[in-house]
Amino acid sequence: MSFIEVRNLQKSFGPLEVLKDISFDVQKNDVMAIIGPSGSGKSTMLRSLIKLEQVGGGSIIVDGDYLVKDGIYTNPTDSKMINSKMGMVFQQFNLFPHLTVKQNLELAPKLVKKEKTEDYGHRSIELLEKVGLASKANELPSRLSGGQKQRVAIARALMMNPDILLFDEPTSALDPQLTKEVLEVMKNLAEEHMTMIVVTHEMEFASNVANHVIFMDDGKIVEAGTPDEVIKSPKELRTKRFLNYELNK
Amino acid sequence: MSYEYFMSMLIPMLEGAKATVLLFVIAIVLSIPLGFLLTLAVRSSIKPISYLAQTFIYVMRGTPLLLQLLFFVFGLPLLPVIGEYLVLDRFVAATLAFILNYSAYFAEIFRGGLISIDKGQYEAAQVLGLSKWQTTVRVILPQMFRVTLPPIANESVSLVKDTALLYAVAVPELLHYAQTVVNRDFTIIPFFIAAGIYLLIAFGLTVVFKYLERKLQYE
Repeated sequence: MSFIEVRNLQKSFGPLEVLKDISFDVQKNDVMAIIGPSGSGKSTMLRSLIKLEQVGGGSIIVDGDYLVKDGIYTNPTDSKMINSKMGMVFQQFNLFPHLTVKQNLELAPKLVKKEKTEDYGHRSIELLEKVGLASKANELPSRLSGGQKQRVAIARALMMNPDILLFDEPTSALDPQLTKEVLEVMKNLAEEHMTMIVVTHEMEFASNVANHVIFMDDGKIVEAGTPDEVIKSPKELRTKRFLNYELNK
Repeated sequence: MSYEYFMSMLIPMLEGAKATVLLFVIAIVLSIPLGFLLTLAVRSSIKPISYLAQTFIYVMRGTPLLLQLLFFVFGLPLLPVIGEYLVLDRFVAATLAFILNYSAYFAEIFRGGLISIDKGQYEAAQVLGLSKWQTTVRVILPQMFRVTLPPIANESVSLVKDTALLYAVAVPELLHYAQTVVNRDFTIIPFFIAAGIYLLIAFGLTVVFKYLERKLQYE
């Protein structure tokens, strides 16, 4: 059984159809890269998985439970339970600016899981060490570089022990040097077999780290397969054009 | 001018300043939370509540505070039928007018503060599983409070000065005593003393708010 099953997902903003019959599967330990031009619906699709966007039709099944079945959402209690299996990292980091790095990590475990200080206190330090930022534990986010902020955001998502991490263009707000340090952390997570879906413009990451690639355009999945299939030898004209543009940027 | 004479002016004025400060403290302590509730009411998805709150804010901001004071102190008892139950102590009635008036201004300040908070903050809280209440109290309010601190400070200083309007509804306060001495002794000095006391209160407020701003700094 797939960890995430997406079936015939459909969404419109008014008359504009942004997702047209999207279906795909994500297995445990998959790293799936979603590529495509701006406005292709890839971010909307990712955000639908964790209920930041409401879909108009289709189904999303996470770990055997329906989040949406034929366009009808499950009850709030169940959808909360389903969402708690997922973590999300945003393009704009969205750290809480009034809290220190460590407090950013510990807020949700404390409030949502009602964990004890001993438990989350250790874990937050461990995770900060993992992303190389233990020395910044007591700094406010405003004192960090963009790359450091994004690494904190990844650690914050990991604090909730999600089964899958969703990344919405995690490096698009960063310059190349800072992009590298964030991709490094994501690569390490992939090597530890974290399940991930990554909306990205980083073709190198998609080729080398992902084991599945989906190319989306105009609200549809145009091409899907392994990185070798989709990025090295694309079949569709639209994919070829997009890759040509991205790789020669 | 002898020390004794100076004190004979200052002491009643300090007595009056007590009323000024008392009104200020009650009004600020009650109008800030009330203003916040009004903001929530305006943003409520229940339309009648939202419209009611918007109308209230519109009326309070659109009419002179002096008119509202006169209405509460002298007007309420004149209302048909219920008027006779609305004979309040003048200070109480005036304080009520101040609280309602300032809550409307604070509501607008808080509304601006909430608008300024990035929607990514709500999204981050949501994906981490925080409830609406937890998001509001632990994520949004601390940021809103920081953003709105400068306009709140500004409004507080205005409130200190507006307390002088009590003069118009014959509630003894700082300015009232100053004016009394001016009339009695034909001297302008009490006005300077009154100005000094207002400035002193404003200075105290400025120091407190500057301290809060520094303490809550996160940028």
